[in-house]
Amino acid sequence: MSYIKVDANSDFSYHNLPYGVFSTPDNSRHRIGVAIGDHILDLSVVKHLFNGPELAARQDVFDQPTLNDFMGLGYDAWREARRYLQMFLSANESTLRDDVTLLGIFLFIAPVSSVFLFPLGDYTDFYSSRDHATNVGIMFRGKENALMPNWLRLPVGYHGRASSLVVSGTPIRRPRGQMRPDPAPVFGPSKQLDIELEMAFFVGPGNRLGEPIPVERAHEYIFGMVLMNDWSARDIQAWEYVPLGPFLGKNFGTTISPWVVPMEALMPFVEANPVQVIQADSCLSEPIELNRSYTACGGPDPEPLPYLLHSDPYTFNINLFVSIKGVGMTKAASICESNFKYMYWTMKQQLAHHTVNGCNVRPGDLLASGTISGPEPKSFGSLLELSWRGSKMIDLGGGETRTFLKDGDEVTITGFCEGLGYRVGFGPCMGKILPALQQ
Amino acid sequence: MAAENFWKGLLALVLLTFNSSPEFNCNFNMSYIKVDANSDFSYHNLPYGVFSTPDNSRHRIGVAIGDHILDLSVVKHLFNGPELAARQDVFDQPTLNDFMGLGYDAWREARRYLQMFLSANESTLRDDVQLRSRAFVDQSFAVMHLPAEIGDYTDFYSSRDHATNVGIMFRGKENALMPNWLRLPVGYHGRASSLVVSGTPIRRPRGQMRPDPARAPVFGPSKQLDIELEMAFFVGPGNRLGEPIPVERAHEYIFGMVLMNDWSARDIQAWEYVPLGPFLGKNFGTTISPWVVPMEALMPFVEANPVQVIQADSCLSEPIELNRSYTACGGMTKAASICESNFKYMYWTMKQQLAHHTVNGCNVRPGDLLASGTISGPEPKSFGSLLELSWRGSKMIDLGGGETRTFLKDGDEVTITGFCEGLGYRVGFGPCMGKILPALQQ
Repeated sequence: MSYIKVDANSDFSYHNLPYGVFSTPDNSRHRIGVAIGDHILDLSVVKHLFNGPELAARQDVFDQPTLNDFMGLGYDAWREARRYLQMFLSANESTLRDDVTLLGIFLFIAPVSSVFLFPLGDYTDFYSSRDHATNVGIMFRGKENALMPNWLRLPVGYHGRASSLVVSGTPIRRPRGQMRPDPAPVFGPSKQLDIELEMAFFVGPGNRLGEPIPVERAHEYIFGMVLMNDWSARDIQAWEYVPLGPFLGKNFGTTISPWVVPMEALMPFVEANPVQVIQADSCLSEPIELNRSYTACGGPDPEPLPYLLHSDPYTFNINLFVSIKGVGMTKAASICESNFKYMYWTMKQQLAHHTVNGCNVRPGDLLASGTISGPEPKSFGSLLELSWRGSKMIDLGGGETRTFLKDGDEVTITGFCEGLGYRVGFGPCMGKILPALQQ
Repeated sequence: MAAENFWKGLLALVLLTFNSSPEFNCNFNMSYIKVDANSDFSYHNLPYGVFSTPDNSRHRIGVAIGDHILDLSVVKHLFNGPELAARQDVFDQPTLNDFMGLGYDAWREARRYLQMFLSANESTLRDDVQLRSRAFVDQSFAVMHLPAEIGDYTDFYSSRDHATNVGIMFRGKENALMPNWLRLPVGYHGRASSLVVSGTPIRRPRGQMRPDPARAPVFGPSKQLDIELEMAFFVGPGNRLGEPIPVERAHEYIFGMVLMNDWSARDIQAWEYVPLGPFLGKNFGTTISPWVVPMEALMPFVEANPVQVIQADSCLSEPIELNRSYTACGGMTKAASICESNFKYMYWTMKQQLAHHTVNGCNVRPGDLLASGTISGPEPKSFGSLLELSWRGSKMIDLGGGETRTFLKDGDEVTITGFCEGLGYRVGFGPCMGKILPALQQ
């Protein structure tokens, strides 16, 4: 496909073309790039080549130190950019391939000094994995009351902290805080530091305050996706969260992967949505879900409510992997293999719900899925679930075990869609735990 | 314009000569700009805001004084003290973030210089007719904007009376306050994008609700649209991720305050909020007043903090508070004469809130906004929400003339005001107002 050689196992095949912001040791300016194989195509150098109807007058968006302006241009501009990128990088197209003066527009990913996060507006975290919510519910409330009454009716979510979103590679310091292991609260380093395997999407154009985004058009507002680790301090969280939700148990740091994979690259891996039908006569008790392999639809008693219903498939088969490498371990141990397809609520439903009351989203806003767990224990996306609230040890091999994280642990989340002889992947979402402050 | 200002200046001089010693007529004698005794914007206030005018749409920083605004972008060259001389650019910005980020010493210096330029005894600005004509704008001529780019907005829950009232309404007297309430300042992340400046209309939200637990949830316009009287502070310099702000130094990070109305849709909130907290019941709109009153202007009105002692032997039961008469700043708030309250009723101080917020390493940034939570005092007249004033809809709130309310109606205009009362002057906040538009139809 491309004259740039790409390994079959590379995340950054010709079918991917994710966007990111980077700089280099010789040029500290933040600029936009596209990952391909082991290289980055510097869009600020080739912006003049984007001369289609959507982008010709807006080439300036590729000169920005953030992706926000490009995301704000909208669906048609993103599609055109992708067409042009596929053209420039094609083995059959000479514009870039043979242009000697443009040598150096391709940079190696490895020596690049950093890949950056750009200023995010608001960050929202959802809770949309049914297995995760059920596991947590069983652990804390018992099987009968596992899922809250609202869970199957609306995509439950909460506002997260934007300032502490960091890019993969940023160290995460173990937080100190107030906890209540015994009747009297204490202050000290968290002893229940956990991970949360998640994915998140960036919002493209925004909507005006008071003007909801209808679910059938929500995909026009969804730019692309990243991996996320929503580090959590369970002890701090448990003591603070009633009644207003998680706060300091979450906002000490949240890591995302640096390359934003556009939705077009993921569409080949779309599958049918889970069925979300609730029996009419079970409205008065717990809703019964019929099965889970077909397109979402309303039943005779429309559940979920119409503003959440969309018929087009928007569930994605993305393989996800989590590993931990502790101090003294020679290689990382896999602790989780999961998949984004396990989500109950789609991204379109989440975005429509988020704006149905008139709330405004803006380019660069980030909406995360919530911890991703599947039905099998190996697919649980948090140590809380993998260790079942600390009741069983997670085996890392070589005599190493965990319930929660230790100082020095390096957690890496990776993910990719498997195509025929190629991958569409996300790069690493990694963080290493630093010890808590002493004094 | 110039001639008019000249006569205004002359008039001020004339009036000055007839005044007795300055201490007995603080307000009048302080500035050559005439300020009414009931004005929020006395010489003792000097709040910062961002405005534009019909003839110049550029957002710029100003200071309110009397009925005027001093355009700081026009007089930035006058700030030539050690902190600001090399950073006059902060007054050329369309938001206050850079100025907030400079820190405590720079804010103090800016205030000293403002007090000097505006002083009746100082000629630099007073007698420079050209500069004065460009520097002062009539407030009625200006449009106010959000004063900062707000990266993150956090809402606390720090009024004991409010938390107790809500607890009694929903859980009964025995379980009114949650066990964590007296141990830490409970808070949650709010939505920054829907923070709007006073005067922005607020559209009644639609959403999912479950008014009857025995029936399926429904979708439609909220029927329990409420207000929340709050105050909020802006953060100055930030801290690095992983490096908490110690409580004893937290005041160096607190820039100034505004009024806030945290509009709430109680029915949407009640159905969604378990277990992750309020979300769509809040984020359809939040209004703040446009003038940020610097902490230095509020310090004369500081009082002792509430006592927060918990009896050792009651650790296993509810903590007992000894007495309560305290905390920073007085302020009266009227909203269509339904509530008169005071910021002094807060249980947790802003320093405690900021220290708690960063104790785990969370990073705050210049322009971040931290709100107090609904402010209620011990008396029913001081309750800061319709939920409490109507006691969950069980009693009508009398608006006079036959008008009553439980929750808001379309077309209602809610105004929050507040001020500290000094001797012959006020330090106030301007209006925090919003009018309810009907929900979307389709």
